[in-house]
Amino acid sequence: MANLKKLIIEPLRKTNPVTVLVLGICSCLAVTAQLKPALVMGLSVTVVTALSNFIISLLRKGIPNRIRIIVQLVVVATLVILIDQFLKAFAYDVSKQLSVYVGLIITNCIIMGRLEAFALSHGPGESFLDGLGNGLGYSLILVIVAFFRELFGSGTLLGYQVIPQSFYEAGYQNNGLMILPPMALIVVGVIIWIQRTRNPEMQENNQN
Amino acid sequence: MKKDVNSNRYIFLYATVLIVIVAVLLTVTALWLQPFQDRNKKNEKRISILTAAGIPDVNAKNAPLLFEKHCTGSFLLDESGNISDDGTLPLFVIDRQISVIPMQGNGLWGPIWGYLAIAADGKTILGANFDHKSETPGLGGEITTEKFKGQFSGKQILENGNLVPIQFDAITGATKTSNGVKEMIDNTLEKYSAYLSRIAERGE
Repeated sequence: MANLKKLIIEPLRKTNPVTVLVLGICSCLAVTAQLKPALVMGLSVTVVTALSNFIISLLRKGIPNRIRIIVQLVVVATLVILIDQFLKAFAYDVSKQLSVYVGLIITNCIIMGRLEAFALSHGPGESFLDGLGNGLGYSLILVIVAFFRELFGSGTLLGYQVIPQSFYEAGYQNNGLMILPPMALIVVGVIIWIQRTRNPEMQENNQN
Repeated sequence: MKKDVNSNRYIFLYATVLIVIVAVLLTVTALWLQPFQDRNKKNEKRISILTAAGIPDVNAKNAPLLFEKHCTGSFLLDESGNISDDGTLPLFVIDRQISVIPMQGNGLWGPIWGYLAIAADGKTILGANFDHKSETPGLGGEITTEKFKGQFSGKQILENGNLVPIQFDAITGATKTSNGVKEMIDNTLEKYSAYLSRIAERGE
């Protein structure tokens, strides 16, 4: 039981896919200018990672080794298309928010990474939890980055004005740099910095 | 006989079966969800038209009813501004006097489109609505916000019977998208100019 819990909790911290494994950076730059797309993207990636991990783990004994990457891609792509179709039918607004990023889910390295590293060698239940944990770990970073970018870049959160008008009258200005993709990298960098300072065992030893 | 998961025969068989299952699954889902998706698209169009014409609180639920109530006609116009079945320019009339015309153009990453509502006098913009396929959120994507759309209300498009190029506040950091919007509006008004000057004359 403790082991299963660890599968979900660890990716949020010590094996975080974004800040420790440095996967999924690409979409992390693209969808974090505002909080809402970041939330939806995090949720979608979590669903896809969990389900694809589960399915690949079920199939793992029958998949021919030589075409396993193709099989994984087919499963992931199918799931993404299904999610896209369902969103378009039942949550049209959300699907419009995501638009191009649905395609980005397929290319998200976290999904393939977890399939290769975990699902091929573990049971369906464990794989499902591992996918869930990694998806949540990814979402967590996405939400933190998007929070700062939207707050300082647009003065809003989830589209609602947060920084009061009196600040602007006193000369405060939104930082346009926060809206541009490079700032996402810098925010991720700061998160990694804080994380490693607080967990000295994560720092690499560069002396040898 | 022990099956060999790495033999060519097994690989081909496996791939074929997998693809067939996936293809059937996707086809069935697509066909099953098609009506829902079409309804959403139709509703979205209705919402855009009604919102551009200034009808408040339109949402996906009440859109079909409101559209039925307010849209008093939809026509095709030809280039000289006459209603004709062979026309290529769609026109929606809201509450018997507001003309709503669809616009299409290009943003930075992909298509942008929208609706422009023109008042009964034929020369004042009543409201505008924009949407886009893949503009950058926070930059070009801002064309869908109230702040951007709102500035078009009240702008004059005709002066002494001639079209005036539209002027508006562009979005900082989204020059290409803003230019795209300007080009889209100017091009569309150009195409509808015959019709617009006609209703403007009638208004005077």
